[in-house]
Amino acid sequence: MTLTQRQMVDNDRSRFDFKDEIVYLTETKRGLTRDTVEEISAIKEEPEWMLKFRLRAYEHFLKRPMPVWTDGLDRINFDKIMYYRKPSEREEKSWDDVPDQIKATFERLGIPEAERKFLAGVGAQYDSEVVYHSVKEELSKLGVVFMGTDQALKEYPDIFKKYFATVVPPEDNKFSALNSAVWSGGSFVYVPKGVEVPLPLQAYFRINGENTGQFERTLIVVDEGAKVHYIEGCTAPIYATDSLHVAVVEVVALANSNVRYTTIQNWSNDVYNLVTKRAHAYENSRVEWIDANTGSRKTVKYPSIYLRGRGASADIISVAVAGKGQHQDTGAKAIHLAPDTKSRIVSKSVSKDGGRATYRGHLKVAPGATGVVARVRCDALMLDDESRSDTYPYIDIQEDDTTMTHEATVGKISQDQIFYLMSRGLTENEAQNLVVQGFLEVFTKELPMEYAIEFNRLVKMEMEGALG
Amino acid sequence: MADALKLPFAGEEIVRRVSAGNSDPDWLLADRLAGLAAYTELPIETNPLFTLYVDLRAARWAELDPYLETGDAAYVSEVVPEGAAALIEIAEDRVVARGLSAEAREAGVVLDTFANVMRDRPQLVKGLVDGAAHLPDSDKFAQFARSHYALGLLIHVPRNVVLERPIVVRWSAGRPGRALVSRSVIHIGENAHARILEEQVPSEAHDAASEAQSMWWGTSEVSLDQGAQLSFAGQQDFGAHTLVFINRHATLGQDAQLRWALASVGGELHKSRIDNRLVGRGSGVNQAEIVFGDGRQLADLTSYTRHIGHDTTGDLLSKGVFIDRARGYFKGMITIDRSAKGTDSFLGEFAMLLTKQARSVTIPSLEIDQPDVRRASHSSSVGPIDEDEIFYLMSRGIPRDVARKFIVMGFLEPVVARIPLAPAQDRLRARLEEKWPQAQASTQKAA
Repeated sequence: MTLTQRQMVDNDRSRFDFKDEIVYLTETKRGLTRDTVEEISAIKEEPEWMLKFRLRAYEHFLKRPMPVWTDGLDRINFDKIMYYRKPSEREEKSWDDVPDQIKATFERLGIPEAERKFLAGVGAQYDSEVVYHSVKEELSKLGVVFMGTDQALKEYPDIFKKYFATVVPPEDNKFSALNSAVWSGGSFVYVPKGVEVPLPLQAYFRINGENTGQFERTLIVVDEGAKVHYIEGCTAPIYATDSLHVAVVEVVALANSNVRYTTIQNWSNDVYNLVTKRAHAYENSRVEWIDANTGSRKTVKYPSIYLRGRGASADIISVAVAGKGQHQDTGAKAIHLAPDTKSRIVSKSVSKDGGRATYRGHLKVAPGATGVVARVRCDALMLDDESRSDTYPYIDIQEDDTTMTHEATVGKISQDQIFYLMSRGLTENEAQNLVVQGFLEVFTKELPMEYAIEFNRLVKMEMEGALG
Repeated sequence: MADALKLPFAGEEIVRRVSAGNSDPDWLLADRLAGLAAYTELPIETNPLFTLYVDLRAARWAELDPYLETGDAAYVSEVVPEGAAALIEIAEDRVVARGLSAEAREAGVVLDTFANVMRDRPQLVKGLVDGAAHLPDSDKFAQFARSHYALGLLIHVPRNVVLERPIVVRWSAGRPGRALVSRSVIHIGENAHARILEEQVPSEAHDAASEAQSMWWGTSEVSLDQGAQLSFAGQQDFGAHTLVFINRHATLGQDAQLRWALASVGGELHKSRIDNRLVGRGSGVNQAEIVFGDGRQLADLTSYTRHIGHDTTGDLLSKGVFIDRARGYFKGMITIDRSAKGTDSFLGEFAMLLTKQARSVTIPSLEIDQPDVRRASHSSSVGPIDEDEIFYLMSRGIPRDVARKFIVMGFLEPVVARIPLAPAQDRLRARLEEKWPQAQASTQKAA
């Protein structure tokens, strides 16, 4: 990264620290009961099967104990959370129809500019409903469906029902059960056979409203031989009490398809970000999760790929920056269920100011998955004595011709590098920033340029907090 | 499953009986009861990272009958084998051999049961045993040994004593239906140097034809004073129906150095846990462990290394070869405390699966609170025998089967080479080779 590029990056954190007063048209009472679930389904005028599905998930959520392998989740007060609120009456078709107040929020987030540049489509989530959506003409012509998940349930019931909850069933874990019970919003993408979406599809997410849970549900189905890149980025205002974001993302990559899913997560530091992301990769398909987590109080997220078809490949890049009061409990899972499948996992974490970065990974080669090649690489950088870094990889191999390697290192920034850069005229702050950016480059280089700049700026802001 | 361990031979009545059988002083009975309370409270696995990988289904507890009384046999040999500094041999429940070389005797080396040492030097026993400081307090299996052991073994090497030749500890077990629960407490004094070879072999009462299980349960509770050095080689080669439970725990003082070279070949179920506590500045542990599993063997190997003092070093290596339906669980954890500046730590877990049904689980974890490290890393790999290596050997005129065997033996050799006595080394090589025809047969069946 050149100096010029770094200078382009401004340093205005306040842009993420605002809250607009929104008049919500419909909202449920705080807390979660069977009535809440029924009410959400009724407001959305859902078919009977979805109500049943929600109730089944709700029952499971009650029964399922809170995970104990990571700490701090017991601090979430589910009774204080509002599970559904709808800020405007209907899905907006064009930018002009979006209410001014919401538009003003997006303005500050920079969405219109971004769209003018190269957005293929925008699905922006404002609280619990998709309020604005525009898909370029050409995508519609290609037959690509890109819309809010609620809308897709109504407009594409067949394909929706065929794939929904097949990748992440409600019973998968406590939080997938919660999401399944109260889900709202999120994106639905369907790419027909052989279609290559020429530009990334992007969705902006934002939490507004204290104690508003965000329970978005994203379903991406990429048909045979098709190709798509989906990008999501999150920013959120900072509040005093805990917010909750519990999302489920399901990706179905059918034979010979190619899917890349990029996330830049920058929730404010009061948010519990508990996300189940999983893809099913069929024959000769390729799935990539490119995932960065810089914000939130606690993130629990392990993007997973189940390699179900012969010759499928998985690539997961997971990056985390944990600052003061933060715990990034992130990682990746590659589950090899078919022969001749490949996976690569790269994890990079930075912890500082007492933050904690945890890598948790699962690599499994099931009986019958012959000829698997799997590689895992985890590196952690710790910037000070108060911080903590953990690595918990699980490697379970049940086929004799598997080739698996796993490498992990933990360390601090080398003083030699800092001295060298300072001798070239950089301040210590700049030097450290540059080293961290270099450490994370394996992630940054996978991003479209605008995102790379945005991400480096986030890192720089975090670093300046670090050196205070 | 985590709380399913209900040993029919555990409980206060048994504890009091073994205590009486050992003529324990009051403090020792109290220590056993403290252990019993901990044992009763603890779940099978307290570390939530590892709870999914505990499998004791192979054990038929109800068929096992532990020895409640132990002691010297009617005749105790005093012969010290050539090349050894001392020997103690325990067959089933009896000490059958015990001898110190002149050198060891003069140096004041102690090698005997708690009960025997207690007669002359009660304070030495109390100082090393009371409070079980060298057993993990959160481990159910360790606390079971602490409370229920029928035979305690004490090894003490006084300060400044340098023993070139190894102390040999030989356990033989395997009488169908019987179980020995033991403890071994090892203390190496300031600047003393010692080597220990622990051999675990089938006893004469072992019946290879019997399907009945037997069990050996024991510990190595090691404390190394400042500047002490210990090389500990262990060779577990029990019969095919023996259940093996081992806790090894070492506390290292300033500049102390410990080397573990451990091989597990026998047993139906081998569950072990090693704890290395690097307390003293400049202390270091080098640990190499190998497993060759066949049949339905399960090797469940846990290893904790905690860096506490400045400038400590940990170099840990586990290797496993598995054939048939054998399984290996390698659960590793390196912890670098905030106090441990200048740590150098490496953990490697490597496995070779030679048949389709074999399985390997590796969990090489790190928890790091201090970034000022020389090195903190781990590495793990699982793979078949490298075809390039086979090809290279074949090009030198070596048949394929032999080439495969060479490569596997070479993979395990780093531990074999560290067994201190040549005959013991050769015996281990021979045992590993014995497993080979089966490996060959299984592989061909699979292919």
